[in-house]
Amino acid sequence: MMMPFIQVNQMSCSIKGKVILTDINLKLEQSQCVALVGPNGSGKTTLGKALAGILPFQKGSIYLQNESIKEKSLSSIGTVIGYLFQNPEKQIFASTVAEELSFALKYKGFPADEIEKSVDDMLRRFELNHLKNASTYFLSQGEKQRLAIAALLMNHPQYLILDEPTTGLDSKRKEQLGHLLDSLKDKVGMLLISHDKSFIRRHAYQTLKMEGGQILHD
Amino acid sequence: MTKALDPRTKLLIVLCLSSLGLIITHPILLTFVFLVGLLISMAFKGDFFSLIKRFKKVLYLFIAMIILQSLFTTGGEPLVEIGSVTLLTTLGFQRGFGYLMRVLIILVCGIIVATAKMRHMVQGLVQLGVPYDFAFMASIGIKFLPLLVEEIQDTFVAIELRGIDFKKLSLKAKLEIISYIFTPVFAGALMKAKKLSLSVECRGFRAYDQRTSILTLKMNSLDYLWIALTLTLTIWSLYLYLIY
Repeated sequence: MMMPFIQVNQMSCSIKGKVILTDINLKLEQSQCVALVGPNGSGKTTLGKALAGILPFQKGSIYLQNESIKEKSLSSIGTVIGYLFQNPEKQIFASTVAEELSFALKYKGFPADEIEKSVDDMLRRFELNHLKNASTYFLSQGEKQRLAIAALLMNHPQYLILDEPTTGLDSKRKEQLGHLLDSLKDKVGMLLISHDKSFIRRHAYQTLKMEGGQILHD
Repeated sequence: MTKALDPRTKLLIVLCLSSLGLIITHPILLTFVFLVGLLISMAFKGDFFSLIKRFKKVLYLFIAMIILQSLFTTGGEPLVEIGSVTLLTTLGFQRGFGYLMRVLIILVCGIIVATAKMRHMVQGLVQLGVPYDFAFMASIGIKFLPLLVEEIQDTFVAIELRGIDFKKLSLKAKLEIISYIFTPVFAGALMKAKKLSLSVECRGFRAYDQRTSILTLKMNSLDYLWIALTLTLTIWSLYLYLIY
């Protein structure tokens, strides 16, 4: 039997002695866009981080493409999963927009002209062309959000975990992001962690509700 | 019992330890100062080893600096040679080891300071005659240190999540990536400082010339015992350093 792209079995996670997630069971397919909703502090972000291998968990298991996530390095998970932090500033580390986009390809040994082409293409898709050589420190929240998502896509991930992707985006940008996610849907699976009900309604195939560290229902 | 010590006593201990770390160059004496600091931090229930764990990802950087410090120091007897090229000398080893001990002394000093309540620390500085503005600034600085460490770790995670395996990179690429890690951390610290200063001003910080405090610190006999012990050990260490 084919295993799902990500499978979580009876996973529990505590941080500094405080139980955040309890007995989580979850199956995520690569071709689906699933939304994770719930009140603040319900464990959505912790679950997202555990799925991306960022946070260690104490009980249960998480399988990514049939392999236990505990046996994978963060860099090998990163080639498969693109994780958007709730605060995009946490994942922007280069000093210019172009440098940020080219980072992963540069250190993976791609030729310079190919990197340049991919960067220009991504800048166009996210309407960031005019900011190509701009400093990342002085971008608006919305621009940082778009840049962080664009940088993730430069890596061609097979699955995206997006924590509050619409934060800081105006309605036009939100719509653009929606179109982009729609265009990726067939190739890339997604877990949307969001409070934005209308965005979820339009783009998610399934909605999971979390409360008190548990998935309540679909 | 030790946790209830006056913050001024802890500040004196830290001052003595860090001064010894700066003055002393002898590796064995530096190790002794570090071990004494470690014992004191353990007596205050500070957790040195969990701090080392938190610094795990940055340890690589410290080790690289120690190696560089050792390799670029000439003088003394050669320890490691390749052909006619001397890679490591006794003096280089001594300097590198000294640097490591100094970093460790700074860490135990940080742990000792962190065992005092921040409000008490500020009050301790004020009662020592430091203007409140400066004391507050220093306390905020200390408070933000763990956040800086967290930000360095987050940047590491973000880099690895781009599919970059740090261990497999060449030394040149590793050094380049280290610059990627520190630039956002320092830029972020500056921006945070700007926002914080605005925030405290908005809450009426320095609205009045005189600032009163309901908290007044008083030293007890235990404080005097610790002060006497610290000063004795400091003078003894300096004496040993001067003799040898």
